Amino acid sequence: MSLELVCPAGTPSALRAAVEAGAHSVYCGFRDETNARNFPGLNFSPDELVDGIRFAHRHGAKVLVAINTFVRAGHPTAWIKALANAEGAGADAVILADIALLDHAKRHHPSLRLHLSVQAAAATPEAIQFYAEAFDVKRVVLPRVLSVEEIAALAKEITVETEAFVFGGLCPMAEGRCSLSSYATGKSPNLTGVCSPPEHVTYTDDAEGTTAKLARFTIERFGAGEPAGYPTLCKGRFIAEGKTGHWFEDPVSLNAAELIRPLAKAGVTALKIEGRQRGKGYVAEVVAAFRAAVDAIAAGRDDPDTAKRLAGLTEGGKQTAGAYKKTWR
Amino acid sequence: MTDHQPKGLPAPLRFLAKPLPLLPVGTILSLAVRRLAARRPGVFDRIGPYRTCRFRIAPVDLDFDFLLVPDGTRARVDTIPRRARVASDVEIGGPLVDLLGLLDGTLDGDALFFTRTITVRGRTDAVVALRNAIEDAELKPADLLGLTGRLGTTADAVILKAIALLRRLATEPSGRESADPPGGSSPSITPFGSRS
Ligand code: SF4
Repeated sequence: MSLELVCPAGTPSALRAAVEAGAHSVYCGFRDETNARNFPGLNFSPDELVDGIRFAHRHGAKVLVAINTFVRAGHPTAWIKALANAEGAGADAVILADIALLDHAKRHHPSLRLHLSVQAAAATPEAIQFYAEAFDVKRVVLPRVLSVEEIAALAKEITVETEAFVFGGLCPMAEGRCSLSSYATGKSPNLTGVCSPPEHVTYTDDAEGTTAKLARFTIERFGAGEPAGYPTLCKGRFIAEGKTGHWFEDPVSLNAAELIRPLAKAGVTALKIEGRQRGKGYVAEVVAAFRAAVDAIAAGRDDPDTAKRLAGLTEGGKQTAGAYKKTWR
Repeated sequence: MTDHQPKGLPAPLRFLAKPLPLLPVGTILSLAVRRLAARRPGVFDRIGPYRTCRFRIAPVDLDFDFLLVPDGTRARVDTIPRRARVASDVEIGGPLVDLLGLLDGTLDGDALFFTRTITVRGRTDAVVALRNAIEDAELKPADLLGLTGRLGTTADAVILKAIALLRRLATEPSGRESADPPGGSSPSITPFGSRS
C-alpha cells in the first residue's frame, strides 16, 4: 500500500494548494491557542474549516485537525469547543497531545479518530501503547529523535499506525518538553501555540550588520548582505566560554526524501511535511515532489531525485536527515 | 526563489512614475481597498487586530511611499514623499516589482526576506498578519478594481501581463538600476514564522 502523505495548511488557500498538488491528507488548526502554529493571520475559523473539509473530501483527501497544545489549567473551554467544531466540520481525525483532552475526546466524541501529536513526545512502545489502550489512539506522530532502525523496532511492538516527519523545520528538543521560548518570552508552542512569537522579535541594523533579538536576548548577528533568518531560540548563535557557535542546533531543515523507501520498509504509515506557516507556493511544490516520490516507490520505480528537487526550499539551503541517520551515537 | 536578486525599475519608467503623487492615487487606492473589504470581508478579518496599524510601503525605485491602514471598509491609502517623517507601525521596503509580486502571489515573501530583497521594520506581528492575509486572499487586479465577469478576466490578463513585462524590464541588465533597500538604524524585522 502507498504511504499516506500528510501535508500542512496554514490557510484555506494553502489547503486547496496542498490538495491540488496531491496531498492524501491535510492538517490544519483553528485560529487560536489550541494549535501549535498560533501565528497572526494564520489558521482557520470554524466556517473556513467546514469549507476546507468539503473541498478536500470532494477531491478525495482527508483533513486532520491539530488541537495539539496543552490545555490551560482551569480554562479548557477553547479546547473543548475546538474538538466539537472539528467533529461538526467533518474532520477525519484530530491530532491531540494533552491527556485530559484525549480523555474528553474519547468520552464525548467516541466516533472521532484520534491521532497522538508529536507534542506528546511518545517515543517508546510503553508510552505509545498507553495512549492506544487508554484513549483508543489510532496513530502516533513520531518525535524527531528516532533513527530509521529504531522506528522499525518500535513499529513491531505497537498496535497503532505511525506518522514520520520527512521535510521542513526541525524542533530539535523533544517536542512538548522545550521551555526555551517560555523562558525568553513567556509564550511557548506547548501552551500558547507559538515558539519565539513575532511580537517579541526585533531586528536592529547598524554599521556591522543586523542584530536579531527575541525579547531581551540577542539570538543572531548577520553581516551586511548575509542571508537573514528567523530568531528561533534553539537556532541562535551564542558565545559560551569564549567560543561562538550554534550551541543548541544548526539552523537546518529536515529533508528525509531519500529515506522514503527505508521508512516505508520500517512500517511507517504516513509521511508528514512540516510548514503550516509557509506560503502556498512552498506547500504546492513540496507536496507535488513528495507525491511523485511516494507514487514512484509504490509502483516499484526509483525515487525521482526528490531530495535534490527540494534542496532549494530548505531553510537557508541547508538540510539534514536529522535523527533518522544518527551519527552521534 | 532563492536566487532572486533585488531589482529596480528602469530609469524611463521611474521618470514616468514621478508625477503619480500629484494625481489622486491615494483616493483611488483607498476606494479600491474599501470596495475589496465590502466584497471580501474575510481578507480583513484575517488581519485581525492589526487592521488599524499603519503600514508604510516603500518602493525603493519610486520617489514616494504609500501609507496603508487596512481597516476594512474604513481602509485608507495615502501617498507620502519618500523621506517624509510620518508615524507608522511597520515599514516594508523593496523594489516595486517585488512588492507587486508579493501582492499577486507570484513571489514568495519568505524567500524575499531571507535574501534581504525586501526589508521590514517595526512590528513583526503586524507584518506576519498582513503577509498571511495577503497570502490567503489570492488577490487579482480585478479584485482591487471591483471588476467581475469577462471585464475582470480581461483586466487581470492585461494587468498581470504588464507587471510581468515590468519585471522583465527590471531584471534586464541594461535597465537595471541600483535599488538599495531603505537604510537607517531603526529596528527591522522579518516576517517568518518560527519552525518548532
Ligand atoms: S525553541 Fe526550538 S526546540 Fe524549542 S520549541 Fe522552539 S523550535 Fe522547538
